[in-house]
Amino acid sequence: MNFIDVNQVVKQYDGHLALDNVDLHVPQGCIYGLLGPNGAGKTSLIRIINRITRQDSGTVLLNGREMVQADIANIGYLPEERGLYKKLKVSDEIVYLARLKGMPRRLAETEMEKWLERFDLTEWRNRKVEELSKGMQQKVQFITTVIHRPQLLIFDEPFSGFDPVNAEQLKQEIMELRNQGATILFSTHNMASVEEICEKITLINHSRVVLEGRVDDIKQSHKKNLFIVNVAGDKAVEAHEGIFDIVSGENSVATGTLIKLCQGAQLRDAIAWLNENYTLTGITEQLPSMNEIFIETVRTNA
Amino acid sequence: MNKLKLIIQHEYMTIVGKKSFIVMTLLIPFLIILIGCVPVLLAYVNDSADTSVTRIAVIDETGKYGGAMKNNDNYRFVPLLGQKVDNPHDFYIAAGESIDAVMVIPADVDESQLVSVFSEKTLDHSTVNYLAHCLDDTLRNAKIAAMGDPELLSKMEQAQVETQVKSIKWDEHGDEQEQSAEFASIIGMVLAFVTYMFVLSYGAMIMNSVVEEKTNRIVEVIVSSCKPMELMMGKIIGVGLVGLTQFAIWVVLLSIGSVLLGLVGGSSMAADTSAMTAGMNLPGDSGMNAGMAVEISKALAGINWLSLLGNFVLYFIGGYLLYASLFAGFGSAVDQASDSSQFTTPIILIMVVALYAGIACIENPSGPMAVWCSIIPFTSPIVMMVRLPFDVPWWQLLLSIGLLYATAVLCIWISARIYRTGILLYGKKRSFKEVIKWVK
Repeated sequence: MNFIDVNQVVKQYDGHLALDNVDLHVPQGCIYGLLGPNGAGKTSLIRIINRITRQDSGTVLLNGREMVQADIANIGYLPEERGLYKKLKVSDEIVYLARLKGMPRRLAETEMEKWLERFDLTEWRNRKVEELSKGMQQKVQFITTVIHRPQLLIFDEPFSGFDPVNAEQLKQEIMELRNQGATILFSTHNMASVEEICEKITLINHSRVVLEGRVDDIKQSHKKNLFIVNVAGDKAVEAHEGIFDIVSGENSVATGTLIKLCQGAQLRDAIAWLNENYTLTGITEQLPSMNEIFIETVRTNA
Repeated sequence: MNKLKLIIQHEYMTIVGKKSFIVMTLLIPFLIILIGCVPVLLAYVNDSADTSVTRIAVIDETGKYGGAMKNNDNYRFVPLLGQKVDNPHDFYIAAGESIDAVMVIPADVDESQLVSVFSEKTLDHSTVNYLAHCLDDTLRNAKIAAMGDPELLSKMEQAQVETQVKSIKWDEHGDEQEQSAEFASIIGMVLAFVTYMFVLSYGAMIMNSVVEEKTNRIVEVIVSSCKPMELMMGKIIGVGLVGLTQFAIWVVLLSIGSVLLGLVGGSSMAADTSAMTAGMNLPGDSGMNAGMAVEISKALAGINWLSLLGNFVLYFIGGYLLYASLFAGFGSAVDQASDSSQFTTPIILIMVVALYAGIACIENPSGPMAVWCSIIPFTSPIVMMVRLPFDVPWWQLLLSIGLLYATAVLCIWISARIYRTGILLYGKKRSFKEVIKWVK
């Protein structure tokens, strides 16, 4: 069951096509990556799902039915450009934004206490937002995004501005929210975090979807028949005509040698040959990183 | 609807809770009183503090008018009766430091009515006036005496006339009510000025708030929780309520102040005059004698306060909505407050024109310019204030209010369309033309 279904959405701004028949299908309870270079149309798409702007054509379904204005109470949105009222007290800020999402005041207050405690911000509750460090402001912003327990969370570059410790905490919180049943749409340039937490992705380039699917499947389909070979002894692995080539790079006997199977060659041929000439201690398939896939896809679609 | 209420509440509390708001609200009535007192104080200072004495040698060629120049605290005259001086400059040099100026009353002054005064530094206006004043009476009396009728002077004094016009208005029962046209003008001008100041300062406040939300980037979070229209209207209404609160506090403060002053001064200000008027009389109140106070309270009673205040509130709200929505709409088109002048200048210009039209209309509050400007929606909230104390035909009022509110609604609609696009666009500076395109 998909939680979000974006079908054939088109959005045009002043002669510029921002989204060109974009489809996006996010399953319930999935952490979904929305990728793409700057200006590809990610923010436009997110704003349409948020109902901040309207699409020119196409449909957006939430939980299988057409979205209505009331659905925004069920969405938590963390924009890339973070923003809070700087002059407000932390507690007033959180309660105000929670109530705008339709939460009753009492509930907002009790929920806020839990979250403040969780992020070690309890003693800051009566301070103005502008007195907080940037990291703490980010945490406050995160709390305002999730406090009303939305079923859909949209994070635009959630990790930017967090130090590694806090980023890890944030990651755990996101996983936890997913485990509680929330669906998470996640827009980022940080491919390492995509590999770590996203199950599926859609890559948008020049206003169109250019790649879509499960992260594992995408990696498989983009593999280049690369393997890391480890051998005993200090004899360097050399290429074998017709079976594999050595990929230049930092190869050493200790860390292993990166080889690429030749067109039509089988892995077992390579293993057989290696076994004959070396003492083979290990062979691992090297899948492309999302970073490489991203760059390659964007370049070929340029 | 709930969200709108929440936003109004938030906007209201954000401003009212600020220290600066509380300080300004309490301080401004005192500032107004102070500013009212400044001209009086200055005049006082001018009179008493100027102890320097100007010494003037009087070369009286007639030999009879030198005595007309009376010494006082500021002027000391040195008469040189009948003495012939050919060159005043030589005389001045010879006298050295002992005199500042030389005045020559020529022998033919009776005919020419012209005297000269020489000095090295430019003499100020008040000195010249004083000299003329001293001579005027003397020359006039001399002339009258020359006519040979010893009683002429007293006859002329008896014939002195100064006409006073008492304006009396009939109310709907034909009862007579005294009315003061001057007082009505003052009230009209005060209302016009209050409207102008309020709309301008609170409009600017809205604009800053819009720009601030945009630069803070909070606006994207907010509009993912409510409609842009709700945010804009919440802001306009919330800030408007702040204005009304401030206004109410001032009226209360000023009336308390005037009651206190009235008690202290024992003035017979009529107790039934409304709080507003009591407040407005405050600055001059202490120095006012009882008779004048009675006269003013009579004049106050001659004005229909209920309809005046009712209309004032109607125009105030209409004018505020109209201008505030424009400020909000155009505020959304800029990234920084400093870029906003290209949009605010035209708005402020219109308001300034309205204020000047209002001032011009005091002379003739029923003239064609006053009528037209009080019907055109952009100027009516200010110009109509000037006309209100003088009875305005009901059809003009209806037409003007109808037009004002229709235009306000149109401005809100246009601004809302600019706003919902503008708040999400960053980066390059927008031209007026581009912004207008967003309306479509």
